[in-house]
Amino acid sequence: MINSTIRKGDVGVSEPIDFQPFIEMFMGQVPGGPEGDLEIRRRIGLDFVDTTDENVHREPTLEEVDAWIQYAAWNVWGTVAQRASEGESGLIPRQEYESLAFVQEWAKTPQLMREITEAIGVDGVIELGRTSHREVGNKINVLRNWGLPMCPLIGRGISIHLGLEDHTERQGDIASVVQFARRLQHGTFGGGSGLVSGRGFVQQTLGQEILDRFLADEERLDDPEQLGIFRKFNASTELLGFLIHWDSRAGMQDSGPYPVPGGGFMIVREHFLYETEYEWASVAEGLPYCVIEAMIFRPDVPVHVAINDLGTTFTEPRDYLKHLSGVAVYARDRVDSPMSELRRVDAAEMSAITKKSNVGMLELYKVIAGKSREQKIRDGIVVYTHDMISFHAKAAGIWDSVKTTYDDWHPLTEAAYPVLSTSRAGEILPIVLLLEGGFPTFGAKAGS
Amino acid sequence: MSGQREIGAGINVMEFAEPITGRTIFLDSPDQVLDFIMSDDVESSIVISRGGTTTFVAPALTAGVRGLMTLQGAPESHLGILSREYGIPCVMSVTFTEGVETSRGEIIPADGTLVTLDIATTPRGRVLIDDGADNG
Repeated sequence: MINSTIRKGDVGVSEPIDFQPFIEMFMGQVPGGPEGDLEIRRRIGLDFVDTTDENVHREPTLEEVDAWIQYAAWNVWGTVAQRASEGESGLIPRQEYESLAFVQEWAKTPQLMREITEAIGVDGVIELGRTSHREVGNKINVLRNWGLPMCPLIGRGISIHLGLEDHTERQGDIASVVQFARRLQHGTFGGGSGLVSGRGFVQQTLGQEILDRFLADEERLDDPEQLGIFRKFNASTELLGFLIHWDSRAGMQDSGPYPVPGGGFMIVREHFLYETEYEWASVAEGLPYCVIEAMIFRPDVPVHVAINDLGTTFTEPRDYLKHLSGVAVYARDRVDSPMSELRRVDAAEMSAITKKSNVGMLELYKVIAGKSREQKIRDGIVVYTHDMISFHAKAAGIWDSVKTTYDDWHPLTEAAYPVLSTSRAGEILPIVLLLEGGFPTFGAKAGS
Repeated sequence: MSGQREIGAGINVMEFAEPITGRTIFLDSPDQVLDFIMSDDVESSIVISRGGTTTFVAPALTAGVRGLMTLQGAPESHLGILSREYGIPCVMSVTFTEGVETSRGEIIPADGTLVTLDIATTPRGRVLIDDGADNG
């Protein structure tokens, strides 16, 4: 069993810490990737990451919850470890708002997850998870399957690190978080590992009907001018999505790689632009809610593709776009546009969207630069806390009643603010994400 | 690249067969970023920023900056991902062996220094200067 003890009240960083061994290997011991997945499962002994019809329809045991937390510690390390030391933004105090948002999510979302489950039932939650099988341009997706449990778990680790909570507290809340996420994951994948890290870093979620449509609509990019139009469109919409979502990946999602007849693969990418959940997204008014890129690659050399739980594609060699052979681009105009209204976007519209995205990005940049530091933090907390779960709550029909008080800061968040609103956030996050103690268990026996 | 010597090294985001050369500028505030993109030097400049996040240098990305260097971060950082999508050479977490001190004590090349980024391989990218060049 992995030792995950933590000292309550460990609030200071008295000596510089050499993070490098903990960036290279989980706890300096376990690698990342499929090899690490096997090793961490072996060490934990009890597998609760895999979902079955049976184990998502009942309450988990404490041993199962502990086993899931232990796997989550490795998964989060692998997903964000390289990012943990990326430093400050200069525009948005990202580590500050991010760490506070994690605490707020730990304080508030377990109850909301229970309310959603009460409203639509366990099978209703599983059905929500199936959304990413039949839809694109919908934020009920794999990234949220990951963020819904991981953000509160990180917030728990921060709260304990700050001495605001004890690791033995709130067992029921952890169980609610873990099982809510597992039910969504079960709907998405239909069983087996609920996390992409246990599926060989392949995220094949979309149904064949959608994939067939995308393939049939492919337009080849043999003309360098057409390729250039698409690459600018891809980059500009991705950048605007990042900025609207406060420098987070909540505005993008990749799935795949999907095999392509005759060889090659397809990656389906979504960039969320006109997100009316946030008033500052008015800079994207006139742009689609989401643009969807079905990118077909036919490389003449081996290209290894990995898509992580955040829906980010990593390839080897890294310049995957030079192997791009064709695309089919679509728009979902509003958040509530049905899939039947998914429409094609041609090259002329791509150029127009690129132009509008660049203008909107610069406008928003100036708006953000003019905000106070505290307001930037408050806005960032709204992004994280809304973007992970509000779409599920809306689908369950309870968001309107919840949102009246949802943005009120919990006393736990208020208590963490004096520390996490400072540069200390940038010191504490790597400690929680990389070092022993960030994901403490309740101490139940879970194998050897 | 004979006649050049290394003044820094970091993590190269993506391989480019040909090195790129440009004059450095350190951007330390949003106002500096906005002033920079209004200048005539964007496409010939290699921007140095502190962090590995995307948003701070966002306007420079769309303005068509020649290259990027950061003092923090990794290719998995948001800026690493975006520079890849834009096809802009980017070397992250660069440690410089000589230059001037920032207000926080970091060593960076003085603004206007002509540097070459050797980005032919990953993970290591190199920053080179030619002592015979006119460095500002």
